[in-house]
Amino acid sequence: MTTVALPQTRSEPAPRRRRLNAQDGAAYLFLAPWLLGFFVLTLGPTVASLYLSFTNFDLLQAPRWAGLDNYWHMFAEDKRFRNALSVTFWYVLLAVPLELLFALAIALVLDKGLRGLTFYRALFYIPSLLGGSVAIAVLWRQIFGYDGLVNEGLSVFGIDGPSWISNPQYSLYTLVLLRVWQFGSPMVIFLAGLRQIPQELYEAAAIDGAGPIAKFFRITLPLLAPVIFFNLVLQTINSFKAFTPAFIVSGGSGGPIDSTLFYTLYLYQEAFAYFRMGYASALAWVLLSIIAIFTAASFLSSKYWVYYGDEGR
Amino acid sequence: MPNVSRRSTFKLAAGLAAAAALPQSVWAQAARTRLRMTWWGGTDRAKRTQAALDAYTKINAGTQIDVETIGWGDYWTRLATQVAGGNAPDVIQMDYRYIYEYARRKALRPLDEFMPSPINIADFGQANIDTGKVDGQVFGVSMGVNSNSLFYDKTTFERLKIAPPDHATTWAQFAEKAIAITKAASKRGYFGTMDAGSAEPALEVWVRQRGRQLYDNDGKIAFTRDDIAEWFDYWDKLRRAGGAVAGDLQALYRNTPETDMLTTGRAAITFAHSNQLVAWQAVNQNKLAMTMFPQTQGGKAGQYYKPSMLLSISATTPQPQEAARIINFISTHPDAGAALGVERGVPPSKSMRDRLLAQVDELGKAQIEYISLIASRVGTLPPPPPKGAGEIEQNLRRVAETISVGNAKVPQAADQFMADAKRALERA
Repeated sequence: MTTVALPQTRSEPAPRRRRLNAQDGAAYLFLAPWLLGFFVLTLGPTVASLYLSFTNFDLLQAPRWAGLDNYWHMFAEDKRFRNALSVTFWYVLLAVPLELLFALAIALVLDKGLRGLTFYRALFYIPSLLGGSVAIAVLWRQIFGYDGLVNEGLSVFGIDGPSWISNPQYSLYTLVLLRVWQFGSPMVIFLAGLRQIPQELYEAAAIDGAGPIAKFFRITLPLLAPVIFFNLVLQTINSFKAFTPAFIVSGGSGGPIDSTLFYTLYLYQEAFAYFRMGYASALAWVLLSIIAIFTAASFLSSKYWVYYGDEGR
Repeated sequence: MPNVSRRSTFKLAAGLAAAAALPQSVWAQAARTRLRMTWWGGTDRAKRTQAALDAYTKINAGTQIDVETIGWGDYWTRLATQVAGGNAPDVIQMDYRYIYEYARRKALRPLDEFMPSPINIADFGQANIDTGKVDGQVFGVSMGVNSNSLFYDKTTFERLKIAPPDHATTWAQFAEKAIAITKAASKRGYFGTMDAGSAEPALEVWVRQRGRQLYDNDGKIAFTRDDIAEWFDYWDKLRRAGGAVAGDLQALYRNTPETDMLTTGRAAITFAHSNQLVAWQAVNQNKLAMTMFPQTQGGKAGQYYKPSMLLSISATTPQPQEAARIINFISTHPDAGAALGVERGVPPSKSMRDRLLAQVDELGKAQIEYISLIASRVGTLPPPPPKGAGEIEQNLRRVAETISVGNAKVPQAADQFMADAKRALERA
């Protein structure tokens, strides 16, 4: 089977060195806007933030070298940092598996050849187009507010619901739900993966007397593993970086009592509310390291559970 | 791309360069009288300010003023970034909270050399001029005088036949009234007053009435742990008695008129600033009225007159004279006064104020009368808040919420607040 957009190293013959000719010049000229953007807007600030993470910098005065102070404060003293980490880990831990399960379930249903498949596919995909947007976060506030849709529904059964988004016991779960609701993008990828599983395998299994459950666990799941892996890595990274939902739903505060203080939101507050650019840069580098570790762990573990069709095992 | 020759590449590059170079001369000519002005605020303020600036450019046809406006929350981020990037606007709306920081870091230009010409604000009175001084030099011109103010829903008070609070109401009486409203209204999710335990301006009035202040001249905390503990306790009791909005509803407040407890129909009373009456009434259907924050029996004056906003000039502006003329126009010219009204507070200029009294609507009149009513009941302007005060303001809200939605105990919350505040000042 061919796999979907997976990072695979393929050995290619090394290109022969050539002298720069006119065509290359033109190529670089057309590349220039992108290269300029990459160096000036991406690489430059990245390197600068590494330097700033070792300084105290409040934007108005020049940065002052602070050595490892920022990192020391973060790991030894900062309670809000620890809280932000725990909120973010909980969010990733709950949201990513739920979202993937949901996406897979819907993809399986759609794969059964429903009538109007294109319509449903589009319908389910729409939330992930909208999900990160400000408008949806505002809508979420209305749905889970005190007079929101959820409480209207509950009042039918005589239940007097709380204001879900501003109650620290529930606020994080409303954000998890918002994430799960955006299952469309992994779903479309799952659907593409399911379509590529050869039908003969199912037919052969049916002849051998396999039921639907056995087919799912012995054929679908193993052959879908690369796609699951891809979705897992992507969604984990995205969830760690989630910012807009918490920012809008909590009004930028991460409240109530920091119950929705995502790591990125805390970073934003330190940088743009309290003007501690140095500390915020340090926070950013720690987040980058965390994401790198998780991604590396996923890749290392993948050889035990991800089966690529072309490995010829 | 197989068919791109070196020559055509060169042509393309030359064309781009020419296109980039052309308008430059046009810019250079216009730059002589082109300025940028920035302020925070909503759409109403934007319309009024634009009208005032249009009046200026009508008289001074050679000047073009480009405006940048944005909400309070993002304003300071944006301004700090612009100043750091050497791209500060020429005329900057400043706040009392930030003017010391910007002036002392030499981001603003002293205005003394422009006084009395072109900036002639002698009829402000010395007190109103001094609010813009930092270390003996004038760095800002006050745009309006305001003070704390309770807004209450007059319609509801009349309907429930409960006497509204006034300037003599004590905190104890205020609590009784709030509880009475909740009972009389008897509506799910409706209470007498917002929970102001998390509101820094209300806390400030409370500690000043007890003879203390938030910060002293050295920028240190100037109130005690017991002050804050009793403050939290007052609101905790009032909330438990049903007089103040429940914690998970109050937590929905986002520092905007639209999310205020009065506007969202959760409470009959809210704690605000006098100039905000215009903005609050605009989003409320019921009629609003204003009075002072509650008093402490036998206490000192809690409220004070403060500059709602100040106008400053960037230290790096190439056209300080023109910027100063714009500031003078906004502060003293009748056309500007008519356009701005009392949306930024009551004008500090006496002639402007007198003219306005004849022009403004009921809301404007109420505000001007309120400011003169409290004249004998206000204290002196406190020292400006130190760096880190913004973080402490956020801490106050978070700690107050640990009591109201997290069921933390008041004494522990007070300890927590003092510890957090100390740390915030150290790290600022």
